[in-house]
Amino acid sequence: MAEPVRSPPSPRLEMRMGHRRLIPFNVAIALPAQLTVLTVVLVPTAIVVWLSFTDWQPTQGIPWYQAEPVWFWNYYDLFHDARFVAAVLRTLLIVAVCVVVEFLLAMSLALLFLDDWPWRKIAISIIILPMMVVPVDAANAFFMLFNDRGPINYLISIIVGRQFEFAWLADPNWALLPIMLAEIWQWTPLMFLLVLTGLMNLPENQIRAAYVLGASRTRIVLRIMLPLLTPVIIIALLVRSVETFKIFDPVYILTRGGPGAATETISMFMYNGAFVYFRIGYIAAAALMILVVVAAICVNLSRPLKRHHR
Amino acid sequence: MLEDNLWVRFLKRTGVGLAIVIAFFPIFWLVSTSFKPIDEWQRFPPVWISSEPTLQNYRIVFAPKAAQEFAAKQKGAISYKVSGSAWKAFGDSAVIAIGATIFSVLFGTLAAYSIVRFHTGGSSYPFQFLVVRMFPPIAIVVPMVVLFSILRLSDSYLGLILAYTAFTLPFSIWMIRSFIEEVPEELEGAALIYGMRPLQAFLKVTFPLIRGGVLATALFVFILNWSEFLFALTLTSGHVVTVTLQVANYVSASSGKLYGVQAAMGTISTLPVILFGYVIQRHLVRGLSFGAIKR
Amino acid sequence: MSYRHSRRSFLTQAALGTAALTVAPSLVMSTRAARAAKLSLENVHVDAARRAKELADGKPVTLTILEPSGSLGNIKPIAEQWKAATGIDIQYVEVPLDQINQKVLLEAVSKSGSFDIALPASFGIPDLVTSGILVNLDELAEKYEPEAYQKDYLYTIANYYKGSLYGYETDGDAYVMFYLKDWLDDPEENKKFSDKHGYKLKVPDTWEELDAMMAFFHRPERGRFGGALYRTQYFIAWEWWVRFHAKGHYPFDDNMTPQINNEAGVKALEELIAASKFLYPGARSNGLFENFEAFGQGDKFCNIGWGGTQKFLNSDKSKVRGKLAFGPMPGGIVKGTLLKTPYFNWGWNYVVSSASKQPEIAYLFTLYACSPAMSTIAVRDVDGYFDPFRKAHYKDPQIIQNYSEPFLAVHEAAMRDSIPDLYLRGQGEYFDVLRVNLQAADVGEKKPKEALDEVASKWDTITRRMGKQSQVVQWRFIKSNYPEGIRNRLA
Repeated sequence: MAEPVRSPPSPRLEMRMGHRRLIPFNVAIALPAQLTVLTVVLVPTAIVVWLSFTDWQPTQGIPWYQAEPVWFWNYYDLFHDARFVAAVLRTLLIVAVCVVVEFLLAMSLALLFLDDWPWRKIAISIIILPMMVVPVDAANAFFMLFNDRGPINYLISIIVGRQFEFAWLADPNWALLPIMLAEIWQWTPLMFLLVLTGLMNLPENQIRAAYVLGASRTRIVLRIMLPLLTPVIIIALLVRSVETFKIFDPVYILTRGGPGAATETISMFMYNGAFVYFRIGYIAAAALMILVVVAAICVNLSRPLKRHHR
Repeated sequence: MLEDNLWVRFLKRTGVGLAIVIAFFPIFWLVSTSFKPIDEWQRFPPVWISSEPTLQNYRIVFAPKAAQEFAAKQKGAISYKVSGSAWKAFGDSAVIAIGATIFSVLFGTLAAYSIVRFHTGGSSYPFQFLVVRMFPPIAIVVPMVVLFSILRLSDSYLGLILAYTAFTLPFSIWMIRSFIEEVPEELEGAALIYGMRPLQAFLKVTFPLIRGGVLATALFVFILNWSEFLFALTLTSGHVVTVTLQVANYVSASSGKLYGVQAAMGTISTLPVILFGYVIQRHLVRGLSFGAIKR
Repeated sequence: MSYRHSRRSFLTQAALGTAALTVAPSLVMSTRAARAAKLSLENVHVDAARRAKELADGKPVTLTILEPSGSLGNIKPIAEQWKAATGIDIQYVEVPLDQINQKVLLEAVSKSGSFDIALPASFGIPDLVTSGILVNLDELAEKYEPEAYQKDYLYTIANYYKGSLYGYETDGDAYVMFYLKDWLDDPEENKKFSDKHGYKLKVPDTWEELDAMMAFFHRPERGRFGGALYRTQYFIAWEWWVRFHAKGHYPFDDNMTPQINNEAGVKALEELIAASKFLYPGARSNGLFENFEAFGQGDKFCNIGWGGTQKFLNSDKSKVRGKLAFGPMPGGIVKGTLLKTPYFNWGWNYVVSSASKQPEIAYLFTLYACSPAMSTIAVRDVDGYFDPFRKAHYKDPQIIQNYSEPFLAVHEAAMRDSIPDLYLRGQGEYFDVLRVNLQAADVGEKKPKEALDEVASKWDTITRRMGKQSQVVQWRFIKSNYPEGIRNRLA
């Protein structure tokens, strides 16, 4: 008689589970993965929860478990912390802009690759090159490109007709642009692949029928392809949004969140707070807030993912 | 299909051409800078391709002694006393990336098998792993420092390997899960009837069929591990150095960022990723969409 | 010998009748006098090495040093000699220089013992002390440090926190001004300037004079600029810090109430903003190395910087080699007389980790490395960070060649009388609030008074969070260690 598992296993395999075990076999083999995640993720999260109710700093000279609780004051301060609010809004802005731009570019590009044409495979190989560069090295490349005497400014000088030596990364208003461009450059190919795969998997019949019936190309794209592509689009947007939300490497390499705090994203804010100011407890509260909100959003949005997977 | 008129065809070509140029340009700049001598790094107008290409940057990265000798002989060549060795960085990165990949794929395969064939944990169990992927890692980095210090894993290979394993398990599990789902359960069922135990059945019957997919997952996870930056930055204090950290070491007190040397380091450290990326090109989509989108 | 005895037994042995008053300093003095026979300043490195060898006792000992990238050239030659003298091996662990303070602090959390000695930036010492990762070196210093050891140093404030020793300074980061001599000496310019202002061109004594000269020389249409000063990140805070002190005030009063938003502070900020007009275009975006190169072109009148700046400007990479005049930080007129306020910002200290298994040997290495003989070797490295900080350095031919004699003369004077940095717990937070608001005022986002009021109020919050009582103790300690000539003249 098999040990009860959490939901009915398929009957065939159930037949072979003869003897009792301490831990059901299926649970045992999932344990290594589960334990790794538990240790590396869940235990630290528990510590974060504790720390978020204290104002612990290593410079207080006491171990973290002896920190004095300040209960909800951290959260109160966070709400009133202009820098934190700005970081959140800025990150949302970056996610919105980057993901949308990536998607539009990817979509337009993918449509060009629907038919077969000579060199198509090679073109795809080059176009996906950016996502296969180590992000840190890509960021370094962009740092060099956006130097005030670098190639980007040089090209702009040619277009504009006069000397253009703008210090992108030192300007509080424009420093976000190189960061977003680096992100978009690196991950549009990913969107491109996702969308292209989705498009190639679309049922041919409907599309062919539409052609035969004389529909214009635009109509076909908008009225037939896009709706059919919706699940893929949702997954692509969701995956990219979550990953972009965590953006860190380009921000760290290009500006460190500067000048001042003009390009601070959530991750950069937390890094600066924890590793430059050492306000561990305060940042733990920020981290917890972010975790809760992100988890809530994703749990709700992952229903379409579940549905698609069935 | 519809015939493109000349105008549309032209637009198409330009679009693709532009995409190719934009995709290639930063990489071109990186590689090109890696061959430039120091006075060309920040010249204006910019130097597109060096007129006096040099290997000095690569020498500094890979053969510091030879670089010193060269700098002594050649005027104007950059000389830089490097203490951290790039070889160590590549070695450390390799150890950590390979170790973490093995663990991730091993645990992931077992867990995926358990989920697909036994529905362990119910229908929402796999999503628990997805939630891990949604955490901004910075949020738990400091408690991880605390935890690792308790476990004596600070600034150690095993510490980073564990961290990487945990954060790539979502990919492993979901990717391999989608591969296993493509293999009909009946095949294992048949094996069971022949007297095999469930795990044996899986290994002898299903696994050979998904070997390609598992390999693709392994390479995919390797790429993620090799490129990782945040954990390497915060969980190490100099004993363990990965390639992503080593790049930042090429700064000198007299010249600031050594662009050429950083470019050389970047070019070489990105090669494995490009290589493996192309090998698993077919499976990239599956991986990056957590198995939701397949060809 | 007698250093094994406790203080009390030594007293009973050495005391000559004078009863009770065992005031610590005199006790230390007499204890030191008794040991002077063993450790003298000239041979401290030999003695330290010998003692370390005795302690190692034939066992294989390794010391690990956590150092910032780029300083290897400063440490390696010394480490090699140390190994030859003691048989103790040195291992290096390198981290980028903007991370070293945080890595040392994280060691306070993880206590992994991964390094014995570290080289954090001096302004971070208070944070490291309060976190418990630094060994209090008072006892060890009492045992080994020769009496004149720190007297030979030009700047020692950063070595202490609340009166206790925590590490030896090993870098001479006094701020110095650089001027183009040709422009200063040019007779035509002199005539024009003195007609306008009533005094001849010279190395400025006050900020008012400097600002006037920068305005005078600023002719962008002819490709000449008033100054290559900085308006970025920390640099703007450093410049404002000197301007403020030059007006005759401390940043805090005796109870740590901020004074930076008083009239003098606002005026200093207004003058800083006014001077921004006469800076070269890269002032708001350039970092350290861009500044070196820019000033090295020879088309800007003045620059501000450290020994590292001069090493570049004195090399063949710059066009102004040999054409520079040097000056101390401009001061101000306070109560009718000139007040000069040189400033020491940054710096590196050798510290001993409290998680180290061999703190005494580690301390002996730091004593060794900062001895006159060894530290001279360290400072000689052209590519390294360490600038001269001991009297002995200014006489070394190699060092003179690296920096040039005129520079060293000004540098030495500056080091001697430098006002300290803000050595308080939470230094990063205090300074960050300051610089963000200064930058905001500089670009016109905030009015100067508004910006400084915000800084003051935020500083109050930070002080309260750090524990006002504790901060006050350290602040009073720093205040009492401002150079004598300046201490009495600041309000």
